[in-house]
Amino acid sequence: MSSLSARILDVFNEPGCAKNADKSEADRKKGCTKQPKPGSAAGGCAFDGAKIALQPFTDVAHLVHGPIACEGNSWDNRGSASSGASIWRTGFTTDMNETDIVFGGEKRLYKAIREILEKYNPAAIFVYQTCIPAMIGDDIHAVCKAASQKFGKPVIPVNSPGFVGSKNLGNKLAGQALLDHVIGTEEPDHTTPCDINLIGEYNLSGELWQVKPLFDELGIRILSCISGDGKYREVASSHRARAAMLVCSKSMINVARKMQERYGIPFFEGSFYGIQDSSNALRNLARVLVERGAPADLIGRTEAVIAREEARAWAEIGSYRPRLAGKRALLITGGVKSWSVPAALQEAGLELVGTSVKKSTDEDKERIKQRMGQDVHMIDDMAPRDMYKMLKGAKADIMLSGGKSQFVALKAAMPWLDINQERSHAYMGYLGIVKLVEEIDKALYNPMWEQLRRPAPWDDTARDGHPMALARTDGQAAETPALLEPSRRAKRVCLCNTVDRGTIEDAIRFHGLTSVEAVREHTDAYGGCCRRRIQDILRAMSVSEPPAMRQAAE
Amino acid sequence: MAQNAEHVLDHVELFRGPEYQQMLANKKKMFENARDPAEVERIREWSKTPEYREKNFAREALTINPAKACQPLGAVFASVGFEGTLPFVHGSQGCVAYYRSHLSRHFKEPSSCVSSSMTEDAAVFGGLNNMADGLANSYNMYKPKMIAVSTTCMAEVIGDDLNAFIKTSKERGSVPEHFDVPFAHTPAFVGSHITGYDNALKGILEHFWDGKAGTAPKLERTPNAKINFIGGFDGYTVGNTREIKRIFDLMDVQYTILADNSDVFDTPTDGEFRMYDGGTTLEDAAKAVHAKATISAQQWCTEKTLAFIAGHGQEVLAFNHPVGVSATDELLMALSRISGKDIPEALARERGRLVDAMADSSAHIHGKKFAIYGDPDLCYGLTDFLLELGAEPVHVLSTNGNKAWHDKMQALFASSPFGQNCHAYPGRDLWHMRSLLFTEPVDFLIGNTHGKYLERDTGTPLIRIGFPIFDRHHHHRSPVWGYQGGMNVLVKILDKIFDEIDRKTSVAGTDYSFDIIR
Repeated sequence: MSSLSARILDVFNEPGCAKNADKSEADRKKGCTKQPKPGSAAGGCAFDGAKIALQPFTDVAHLVHGPIACEGNSWDNRGSASSGASIWRTGFTTDMNETDIVFGGEKRLYKAIREILEKYNPAAIFVYQTCIPAMIGDDIHAVCKAASQKFGKPVIPVNSPGFVGSKNLGNKLAGQALLDHVIGTEEPDHTTPCDINLIGEYNLSGELWQVKPLFDELGIRILSCISGDGKYREVASSHRARAAMLVCSKSMINVARKMQERYGIPFFEGSFYGIQDSSNALRNLARVLVERGAPADLIGRTEAVIAREEARAWAEIGSYRPRLAGKRALLITGGVKSWSVPAALQEAGLELVGTSVKKSTDEDKERIKQRMGQDVHMIDDMAPRDMYKMLKGAKADIMLSGGKSQFVALKAAMPWLDINQERSHAYMGYLGIVKLVEEIDKALYNPMWEQLRRPAPWDDTARDGHPMALARTDGQAAETPALLEPSRRAKRVCLCNTVDRGTIEDAIRFHGLTSVEAVREHTDAYGGCCRRRIQDILRAMSVSEPPAMRQAAE
Repeated sequence: MAQNAEHVLDHVELFRGPEYQQMLANKKKMFENARDPAEVERIREWSKTPEYREKNFAREALTINPAKACQPLGAVFASVGFEGTLPFVHGSQGCVAYYRSHLSRHFKEPSSCVSSSMTEDAAVFGGLNNMADGLANSYNMYKPKMIAVSTTCMAEVIGDDLNAFIKTSKERGSVPEHFDVPFAHTPAFVGSHITGYDNALKGILEHFWDGKAGTAPKLERTPNAKINFIGGFDGYTVGNTREIKRIFDLMDVQYTILADNSDVFDTPTDGEFRMYDGGTTLEDAAKAVHAKATISAQQWCTEKTLAFIAGHGQEVLAFNHPVGVSATDELLMALSRISGKDIPEALARERGRLVDAMADSSAHIHGKKFAIYGDPDLCYGLTDFLLELGAEPVHVLSTNGNKAWHDKMQALFASSPFGQNCHAYPGRDLWHMRSLLFTEPVDFLIGNTHGKYLERDTGTPLIRIGFPIFDRHHHHRSPVWGYQGGMNVLVKILDKIFDEIDRKTSVAGTDYSFDIIR
């Protein structure tokens, strides 16, 4: 375990991370992520972090060494898209049993590796350590080394058992495994002055492909994407790239920084969420590449593409602005999205009432302030109960978050949109933001929400037969949100002939009606089963307002 | 030959074999005088155009693929809902064989029904003898408690007088004098199966309430606290009626289900053949006159019946195949108001669960376009639910829908922003639907089994909700009414949506978007 703890320390000591650099020596040793608090609901473990960071490598067999728990629950749970190989989706595990735990699981792991190679012969095998074999002392490094030598295939140990810490630590340990065992072990067939690496980009719902045509048009080659739609050989030869863009700063910053140290590949942080960010990312890429020797006209060509794409996207989004302007959004997500998505929302005319900064660095927070102003509500860590309270208080019109918060939003009757890994739409790039705006629009205007917010209709009527809802709306007419008025008026009063409340109220007001019979005469209302409801309306209206028309007539 | 005794192939596979394919190709080539395939293709494509649609909608005489059946089918359906009742259709026996097979194929249950087997001589000289012999034979052979008579076109065209015939038959001793033989004239050339349901039910109630065709005193109504419930012609009668009973019981309301055929279309297999099972007892049918009110779940199945009941002083109200939250709310509130009983917490929770389920999945239904066809009330109920979900029911077609239905549908569309581009098509058939699907495509089609050809033809995925459902089993056991029923419909729609996403993304050689989490 000593090598693992040394490695964790190494990962924690991240000069590329501003937050970390500010800490005292003692604090730095404690690590950068909060230890999970016993007894409170917590996120994923280090194993999960390592697995999701590497799983998008598509031509690799991902073998989980441990009892069924780890792979059984996480098998194929990543909505990454692959352009070719599908073996990444196959669930491989050693499925350790009691005997393995008593006598050690190394032999079983070795055999499992051999069987994968015999049956599938993938480009490489990533072996993930989990809590149980780590506790009993299975040395996966030794097994992987032996297997690599014996079979002549890369077998990469990913030593990130769940108990060492958080998901984020797992992301970094996975990056470390790539640095230690993969990157720089092969050479590309050829190189170009415009070769780049994308680090921390996972091609969720294929969103990388939404941006890739722009790269192709500019002649920028993605030498390697870590790890979305990634191939083993690409990442193994990624050290020949000319520049790198760090997409998710939280998960893989150590990879970007160490590649800069080792191979002199400059990197910058950027995002393709939102129009301005996409443009900035392209601009930065072009600049860095030209600095490193790419043809100078790349900058001009990039600007041309940016101008064209921006114009297109703005035009599209413009059509939504009237519908979305002034709507308030609450954003619960992490890292780069905590500032890049708000930018996108602002472009669509939405107002941001809060954004979570739980997984954001100080730099992320600084960016949020720059964009949103100083007074934006930054939520550090929000327990579901508090989230519920905030939503229930209707301080927002829509919440954008990961799938886990979905149900909190729904219970609070709040429109909700998934922007994390389980979403099924691609939001990256110029087209992605249009899609996001379209989805927000759909979510906001779904008739469901009205249904959700309304109590069961029979709760409207108090026990003594007096219509509570009517009294309330009339008594507090000024406070009734204009939005509710159409739905209140659209409520069917006569079910047999389909006459809504609005029609009946108008007739009463216009003709100064006072009896059900009169209402029957002037509207289609049947006055049978709806008799009582019409009486209620008559009573409420005679109390609340003088018949305007009668007065006018007099 | 591909077929051999060692391993006998089913037709599903057999005729796909090369030998049969060759045989069929040869037949086509040598004997069928086949048209030029290019020409066939050209016409096929032309039949998908707006130009063809215009011609199609200008059709006056021809009905192609009608989405309706005839009156006596509805009459038989209503009649078996009474205790020990044998439906007796006066007319040609071929028709009756159709009703039996129709109901059997849908419910996967035997369907007992007899006819007076009129032949040519009866058509010439009148069917009195057939009626008299028929009543005598069926009474003696099948020992019913009641025989409910309806008619086919044949008897109607020659003008057989059921009232007189039944009277004469009783005088001739076919059945005992006080044996219940209600009747209804149900010609197929008027209305559809929903009209037949209405007529038969009205005939039965009239028989019991208005003095059994002059053989008994009329009943005096002394109002009580009970509520009558009529389901209407409903392919989901087994599930729906049981759901309605559960709701009534939960609300502690006393009720009578009129024409309760939920048991006879769902008899257990335990070694005993039940020709009759369950049903509204004849005593309850008579006492139903005293009820406080009658609720019909389907307005257009019960227009005459409700008018008749209202004429006896009861409050009557009709719903339109209540599917979804609002429709169920209205049903429960009406029940609560009439009975004076509160809606219990158990039902409020079911409501909350349905709302919750809709919210969980609404993003997938939101904005999807649907075409619906079926009986008028079912169309209305499903449309109401789809609008609630944020879907757009663009084409709603009912062969047996009328002008009033059309107007009510359009009013429903107008009440929702999602109904703005939607249209109701009364009196149109499935060939009209085909033109609609080609010229204004939708994402999903909701209809009965016959829709599978439209699905294949137009590529519009079919969600099977309606009657008849022949090619899927047991759907009729699950309710579509009430909050639970809404849940079933929601799941059915979602299943198809997800199946479609899987089908579209399950492309050989690609590995994206074919995800396990949706």
